[in-house]
Amino acid sequence: MTAALEIEGIRKTFGDKVAIESLDLTIPQGATYGLIGPSGAGKTTAIRMIMSILFPDRGTISVFGQGSALKAKDRIGYLPEERGSYRKMTVGAFLIYMGCLKGRTRAQAYGRADRLLGRLGLADVNAKKCEDLSKGMLQRVQFVASIINEPDLLILDEPFGGLDPLSVRLLKGVIAEEQQRGATLIFSTHVMAHAEELCEQIVMIHQGRKVLDEPMAGLRRQYDTRRILLEPLDPGANLLALQALPCVEGVKLNDHGCEVRLHAGMDPGDAVRAIAGVVAPARIELSRIRLEDVFIRLVGESGGVHGSQEALRTHLQGLSNTGAAA
Amino acid sequence: MSIKLHRIGLIAARDYKAAITSRAFLVGLLVMPVMLLVFVVLVPRILNSRSPQVIGEVAVIDGTGKVSTELSHALAPAEIARRRTVEAEQSPLKPVSPASPAPASGPPIPRMTLVQVPPDTDVATYKSWLIQRGDATPRHLALVVVQPDAVTRRPGAVAFGSYDLYTSSKLDETTESTLRNTVRAALIATRLRTQGLDPTAMATVQQVFQPESIVVGPAGDRSASRVIARILPFACGMLLFIGVMTGGQLLLTSTVEEKSNRVIEVLLAAVSPLELMYGKLLGQLGLGMTMTVVYLVMSVFVLAQFSLSGLLDPMLIVYVLAFFVVTYLVFGSLMLTIGAAVNQMAEAQALMPPVIILLAAGYSLSGFIGQAPNSTFSVAMSFIPPVNTFAMIARVSSSAPPPAWEVWTTLLISVVTALLVVWLAAKVFKVALLMHGRPPSFATLIKWARMA
Repeated sequence: MTAALEIEGIRKTFGDKVAIESLDLTIPQGATYGLIGPSGAGKTTAIRMIMSILFPDRGTISVFGQGSALKAKDRIGYLPEERGSYRKMTVGAFLIYMGCLKGRTRAQAYGRADRLLGRLGLADVNAKKCEDLSKGMLQRVQFVASIINEPDLLILDEPFGGLDPLSVRLLKGVIAEEQQRGATLIFSTHVMAHAEELCEQIVMIHQGRKVLDEPMAGLRRQYDTRRILLEPLDPGANLLALQALPCVEGVKLNDHGCEVRLHAGMDPGDAVRAIAGVVAPARIELSRIRLEDVFIRLVGESGGVHGSQEALRTHLQGLSNTGAAA
Repeated sequence: MSIKLHRIGLIAARDYKAAITSRAFLVGLLVMPVMLLVFVVLVPRILNSRSPQVIGEVAVIDGTGKVSTELSHALAPAEIARRRTVEAEQSPLKPVSPASPAPASGPPIPRMTLVQVPPDTDVATYKSWLIQRGDATPRHLALVVVQPDAVTRRPGAVAFGSYDLYTSSKLDETTESTLRNTVRAALIATRLRTQGLDPTAMATVQQVFQPESIVVGPAGDRSASRVIARILPFACGMLLFIGVMTGGQLLLTSTVEEKSNRVIEVLLAAVSPLELMYGKLLGQLGLGMTMTVVYLVMSVFVLAQFSLSGLLDPMLIVYVLAFFVVTYLVFGSLMLTIGAAVNQMAEAQALMPPVIILLAAGYSLSGFIGQAPNSTFSVAMSFIPPVNTFAMIARVSSSAPPPAWEVWTTLLISVVTALLVVWLAAKVFKVALLMHGRPPSFATLIKWARMA
């Protein structure tokens, strides 16, 4: 099957600034990819190039086998981070206009807009002007505009920004429907929890380069072998007594119990047995690597340039290998 | 790059509908006719209707001893009214329908009574007669001092003497003008009588009503009007200017608005930058065209009221519309580019002056070129873009239009210019659309054009 998106060696500069450097990426049809990275990393530039709003200085981008997104725009839905609407237009007219621009008939666009507005709790706003809606309502309308054409590729740039929890849940429901329909999803966000929840594969861009392209499942299998999470059977147990163990570097109490940090070079298996010997556990486990930890480690602590997947692996090992990270 | 016409059509239709239903456009559409109506029809009527009739005395120190009688006669309101009627009849702008003689029009006729002052009166002393309290009656309007040689020349002199006029500080300009005309008529009449001639007969002899000229052409005769011939180039230039300014301004504001409220990127998810640009250009072109056609229809209607619609060559209307399209494409593209490059209207003001100056220069030329349509300057201007369209439309609408090949050459040059400017604008537009932050200079715009 043709990939939904194939990017090969694209580079984009703005004057002297390199926005994207040698980016390769292949996204199969029906996949859900999370695009993460700090502000200014190049995510939006990459998305704009995918959308053929900007064009790369070199390299190629293929969308559904077409040499340019311009040839496949009717099959793409895009919700930009900076999104607006025509203030004086009614919601219905705006959505029909967007639907028609994306190759749908007025009747098709009207029908889908009506259904989606109802699904997102906006059944009665069709005749209202966009300027009369609240910010949250307008964001939901803009989301509807992005999927009005039943896209095969849906690119969402920070779709939940500024939304209340109920709206976030409604949107997630519709996004899940789009996934089930078979749409390929590219999801750009700063909120790691959303990426972890929705995405199958995580791509991280930092300083214009791809520094991570891993399945979410693979990332979840990674464990931090220097941190153990303990929830005691007896809520009144003296957890600070664990500090007396030779393998323990420190104990940090939390609402459920504590987080025990081990000295470098300690065997996690021995440590688990030793801890369980002191405090009877209701639950004891090695800490999972969170996407946020990877993100912060790659972006925050290193400071330098992470040029490749090798750098990522080194950092993941740094998190999981007790000796190497010391 | 694939460009889908239906997308361009959709964008154009939305922009056209949004603009034509906007209050700004409707107000703009009505501004010119309303202003014309106000200044040409209503203001004079209001001014005249509100002017009270001037009643007062005019003193005369007649150094000749002969002019006073004639002046007294000439100051009679009936005589003033008669002179006004004659002047109106001789005007080439007189309405031809209805065919009855033009009635005396203008401000109320002043009622001026002549006060004869002995000729040996000292003028320097008598001048104080004009200084009165504000509410004093009768009002002392003016003092006319007729020089002794005003009727009979001094021996050896070539010219006659004249008169001195002293006026009250409260005398209005219209009454003063009426008084001057009256004294002039009285002096001429007295001079003629002194030489044994009949002033009435002389006035009749000198009276020549201006006929409407008939232009004889292969297609037959048609009437012409010198005034219309003088106004037409200017009016056509104004039509181009207003149409282009309206379309261009709306193009600028709608683009700035789309950019500032971040709807641009939503649109670019559905259409290419070029489709967006062409759609917007086309939408406002339709708007400018609507305005131009409305004004053309109004103009034809007004000319028909004066039975002058025959003066409008149908080809002139075709040329106006054709030149409007190419002029709009040049200036509209420039304004669109500026709209795409800035973030708010205040920033656009900094980049607009060169475009407005060019446009105004073209418009200003049309009046001059209409007067001398075949001078070297006029011919040269009609081939130099972007003012060539204004120059050529002025020549085409003048009384001596250029040969057809010159018109078509100008049109060809304009089309090539328009294509070039649209192409350049598209390059900047693509880059500028997503640029935010500090407003660009012209150097930056050129840099963006190179980047694209």
